[in-house]
Amino acid sequence: MRILRFVGRRLLQLIPVLLGVVVLTFLLVRVLPGDPIRSILGPNATEADADAARARFGLDQPMWKQFLDYLGGLFTGDFGTSIQSGAPVTGEMALRLGPTLELVVIAVTIAVLLAIWLGIWSARRADRFGDHTVRIFALFGNSIPEFWLGLVLILVGYAALGWFPAPSGRVDPDADLTPLTGADLVDALITGNGPAISSAAAHLVLPVLTLVIGVLAPLLRSVRASALEVLRSEAYAAAAAHGLPERTLLRGYLRRATLVRLPSLAALVFGTALGSTVLVEYVYSWQGFGQWALRGLLYRDYPVVQASVLIIAFAYVLVFLIADVVHAWLDPRVKI
Amino acid sequence: MAAIEMAPVVSSNRDGRFAKVLIYVGSGILVVAALAALLAPLLTRWGPTEIDPSGTLAAPGGEHLLGTDGNGMDVWSRVLHAARLDLGIAVLAVALAVVVGTLLGLLAGYLGGWVDDVLMRIVDIFQAFPTFILALAVSALLGGGFFNLVVTIAAVNAPAYARLVRAEVRTLREMQYIDAAKTSGASTIGIMWRHLLPNSLTPVRVIAPLNCGWAMLTLAGLSFLGLGVTVPTAEWGSMISLGTSDVVAGRWWTSVPPGLALLVCVLGFSLLGEGLQERADAKRR
Amino acid sequence: MPSETITREQAVTMLDIQDLSVVIHRPGRQVAALSNVSFSVAPGEVVGLVGESGGGKSMVARAIVGMLPSGSHATGRVGFDGADVLRMDAADLARHRGSGAAICFQNPRGALSPTRTVGRQLIDRLVTHQDMKGDRAAETAKELFAAVGIRNPARRLEAYPHELSGGMAQRVMISLATGCAPGLLIADEPTTGLDVTLTREILRQFRHAADTDGRGVLLISHDLASIAEVCDRVVVLYAGTVVESGPAAKVLREPAHPYTRALLRSVPDVGGGRVVATAGGMPLMTAAPHDCPFAPRCAHATDDCRSTRPETTMLDGDWSLACFHPQETPLAEAIAADLTTAATEPGDVVLKIEDAHVVYRSRFGSGGHHALRGVSLELRAGETLGVVGESGCGKSTLAKLIMGLVEPSEGSVEVAGKGVRKQSRAERTRAQMVFQDPIGSLSPRRTVGDSIAEPLRAAKVPAKERAQRVEAALGRMELDPSILTRLPHELSGGQAQRIGIARALVGRPDLIVFDEPTSALDVTVQAQILDVIADVASDAGHGSVFISHDLATVRGFADRVVVLYLGRVVEEGPVDEVFDRPKHPYTRALLGSAPRLGETRTADVQLVKDLDEADAATGCALAARCPFVTDTCRSQEQTLQPYGETRAACWRVPELTALIEKS
Repeated sequence: MRILRFVGRRLLQLIPVLLGVVVLTFLLVRVLPGDPIRSILGPNATEADADAARARFGLDQPMWKQFLDYLGGLFTGDFGTSIQSGAPVTGEMALRLGPTLELVVIAVTIAVLLAIWLGIWSARRADRFGDHTVRIFALFGNSIPEFWLGLVLILVGYAALGWFPAPSGRVDPDADLTPLTGADLVDALITGNGPAISSAAAHLVLPVLTLVIGVLAPLLRSVRASALEVLRSEAYAAAAAHGLPERTLLRGYLRRATLVRLPSLAALVFGTALGSTVLVEYVYSWQGFGQWALRGLLYRDYPVVQASVLIIAFAYVLVFLIADVVHAWLDPRVKI
Repeated sequence: MAAIEMAPVVSSNRDGRFAKVLIYVGSGILVVAALAALLAPLLTRWGPTEIDPSGTLAAPGGEHLLGTDGNGMDVWSRVLHAARLDLGIAVLAVALAVVVGTLLGLLAGYLGGWVDDVLMRIVDIFQAFPTFILALAVSALLGGGFFNLVVTIAAVNAPAYARLVRAEVRTLREMQYIDAAKTSGASTIGIMWRHLLPNSLTPVRVIAPLNCGWAMLTLAGLSFLGLGVTVPTAEWGSMISLGTSDVVAGRWWTSVPPGLALLVCVLGFSLLGEGLQERADAKRR
Repeated sequence: MPSETITREQAVTMLDIQDLSVVIHRPGRQVAALSNVSFSVAPGEVVGLVGESGGGKSMVARAIVGMLPSGSHATGRVGFDGADVLRMDAADLARHRGSGAAICFQNPRGALSPTRTVGRQLIDRLVTHQDMKGDRAAETAKELFAAVGIRNPARRLEAYPHELSGGMAQRVMISLATGCAPGLLIADEPTTGLDVTLTREILRQFRHAADTDGRGVLLISHDLASIAEVCDRVVVLYAGTVVESGPAAKVLREPAHPYTRALLRSVPDVGGGRVVATAGGMPLMTAAPHDCPFAPRCAHATDDCRSTRPETTMLDGDWSLACFHPQETPLAEAIAADLTTAATEPGDVVLKIEDAHVVYRSRFGSGGHHALRGVSLELRAGETLGVVGESGCGKSTLAKLIMGLVEPSEGSVEVAGKGVRKQSRAERTRAQMVFQDPIGSLSPRRTVGDSIAEPLRAAKVPAKERAQRVEAALGRMELDPSILTRLPHELSGGQAQRIGIARALVGRPDLIVFDEPTSALDVTVQAQILDVIADVASDAGHGSVFISHDLATVRGFADRVVVLYLGRVVEEGPVDEVFDRPKHPYTRALLGSAPRLGETRTADVQLVKDLDEADAATGCALAARCPFVTDTCRSQEQTLQPYGETRAACWRVPELTALIEKS
């Protein structure tokens, strides 16, 4: 009950932030240089053609009218019509979200689990060889440009060894996969399509690996740091001095106390991963949300830009909200 | 009686030797990178945008130390010259972000009230986006070029500093020495400038180097997507981007060297930041 | 040593430390934390381990449970039930920790795991050391909680540490340690940070553990006087060496070692005994000493002391000493009470508070914390006003109110005839404050000279005069001018507090507020600072407010005293009158709980439960805890009534003496 009230209050607090995002993006795309109409018309288009196109997309209306129309559409789930493709933005976006979420969710889950395990392992061996190795590895992960790492993995995994499929798609077209959610591995699992499962999984390995290496480092550092803090805390020393066995210490006194601070960082990392996917999708020709949004940005496709910015902001703040709830559940000191 | 070494429950690196190694290696890398950037013309035979008419995509060795790219430009020369732009933009952008963010954080944290509310709501909006995506959007809208990139990267990072400094100031202003300064008749500006600013910078000092590394990655990422620095100007991200198609064909030398250079420089910042963090932790204990 | 002796010894002692030395190696430096320490604890015995911080007390506790810090080299023997802890392997050590010796940690709230209910933490101990399971463990946990005086134990088992008050957390900590069913219970400064009314109660718990369960108890404390009452024997540590050990009563009354005497004389006494300060500070040893480590500070030191380290010799029975010049006069005679305070002619009114209320509003919602509820005070130049009370009574809020750091929600505050909120920058420096945390009250990145000069800068004193006045203030604090360029973290606590006092003095203020100025300092340093403050407070030019939870320090130099309880003044009057003939039941309880040198005295008023701020709602604030409570007390707010020279907020004062005798 208290949790529900907390979530409700937080959702209310989101409204001004999201409204700010909506207003700001709406204004910025229009104020800053660049014209979406010129890019869809050929080089031979006349001024009259351009005006006609503008009228078609409602861009000839006064700014406030355009904004009210846009806002009205938002309430009915209508994000407008893409200037580039002429198709409704809502439908296009739904198609693109699946592949990206598949990538990000799998990568962040693996990274979080790995970070918890490695971080605690490392902290318990603080300042010994194993710990130093883990930390140096994490620093490398922190410093590697993901897009370049993606290329190197392609070079090794595809060009040199030939273990993984070419970076040009998400599933073998011959596997006959019926798209449902857009996340190919999930679709394959739902339809029980054996060849599609293995193909989708094989296509996922390199991009997921790229993302995991990219986002593992900050998580690992944080888990290690807080585990170390717990290990050096008076509370842990007291439990150890009272002769509690290793297992009890690890389970009751180290793990939960260590994980208390992880949720908000995991949320932050989820955002980093969301950013990195734009690059990783580009490298692996992954037809995802990032690619779509990037095209929208480059061609000044107003409705696409507004929709993608709003969705990312919404997803991001939602993830933070979930993180706060998990935090409150883990840490009894947090009042919600 | 023989001395007995007791096994400590938690051994800890109290002497900070590891931290020292991290700091030395990190700053060593950065000094070498900066020197390479400054002395680039002396270390190369070809100019960074000079085209060798005799061959594109020449393999490393012979005339070209690291071969040539698809345009016939010398990869080694481009990698060295690119350091100027990549390091320069990153450091300048972070410096700008630190100055702006710290000032805003200081004002919001100490004055509180509506100043705090307004500033923090703006920061909220900025922080409703993953930083790279924000950088992507701003630079797509603002366009590339040296000045625009510095502003973009600074704008994206400043809110984080504002929040960091604000949090620090809110803790510090409860300290007894702030009460002591107030009862000694210090003015509001005096308290902010003389007592809060120097002490709230401690975490900033640790974050800034790490942030420089991140800024380099962002810059290269933007260029990789064609949003930052564009060919023919030498920049690591755009060089990697140009080499993407070569990778599938197994030609490594157009994209691997600039990536390695980027990795090493960012690693330098990371090592330095990690070392500073470790030293700060050791001091606090 | 003949082998029979060892077996005989083992029969009676449980902990037997022989010649224990611990040297800690750190890169670039080395610390001899303990040098040739020997003492023992038998089952059912309470031994006090006493000394100032840096003396090595905590290191002894760590050695007993085999948890010395990294880089430590230990020699000697820590015998425990026949085995040597220093030579135990991991498995033996794991068995020894908890069931052999269990520590009650100094800061109980920090020593409880924040993410586990205290009940779970207790049950973990029961499962590990007493082989209990399920319901039986839960049942025993409840009994243990009840045994340490926790009301409603079943509900408290479900609590997390942050939900507990300091006293409650200390009780939980004790139950955790006893839940390990240890042979030896080690309590590290168990009463630090607790209020006087609670201190005795907690100490009694340890006596109880020794008497009823037959455990050995090692009580570590910096305050000999307060623990002596429950101890059988005491061991005094100085710079890692045992300087004196013997029966508690004897050491307390006729201490033979000059350091033990210095320690006892440094503690002010509610009876009005004078504090005698001992100059200097404890040295940091890099190797086992070859001389008497106390010699540089000792009035009786001779060349012998400075060249040879005195052997530990037996005086009689159990009493041993490491000193060439044992003192024989009982301490009580040596410190003849000197209560003549130079009567200064009261000057102008420097502080006037009228019916001040302070409410800390919570940021959201309508609630708030009512820290002061109608306080009126008046103070003249040359006067010193003592303010006493337990934590949470509003002492610090009062200080902040006077300094203009918080605003009164009702009432008014005037310093030097001017309303506090209407002051200019220069006028604000008319009142100065000396803070509780000496180092924390100095800006970490400003030099000492800069900090002292700050009030002068605000008052626009020219640079040249500024330097002169800073130097003069420094001279009065007996500090060398070379200290001016140092940063706060390079100072010792005592030096930092002198700087704090110099800063308060330098602008020649009308009023100085001392807010617990010595509570963060070591005992002998505390005495030095009290000396300085006594001197400063006797200046005729300004009035002083001295705030402390420690009644004894207030008695030393206040002219008048007010007793605060939950934001109200419950008693007010001349200091000797209040201390010798307290009127209000709360003052009586407070005074009764304070330790007195050389005599044991039971509290004549026992409060019935721990402080709870929710009790302040209606009627007399003490109603919930007062043993003499009636319905009138619960319903009627009590105001200050004159009783002789003092005023007290209790209508039952006339009948109290009779009531106390009856109970």
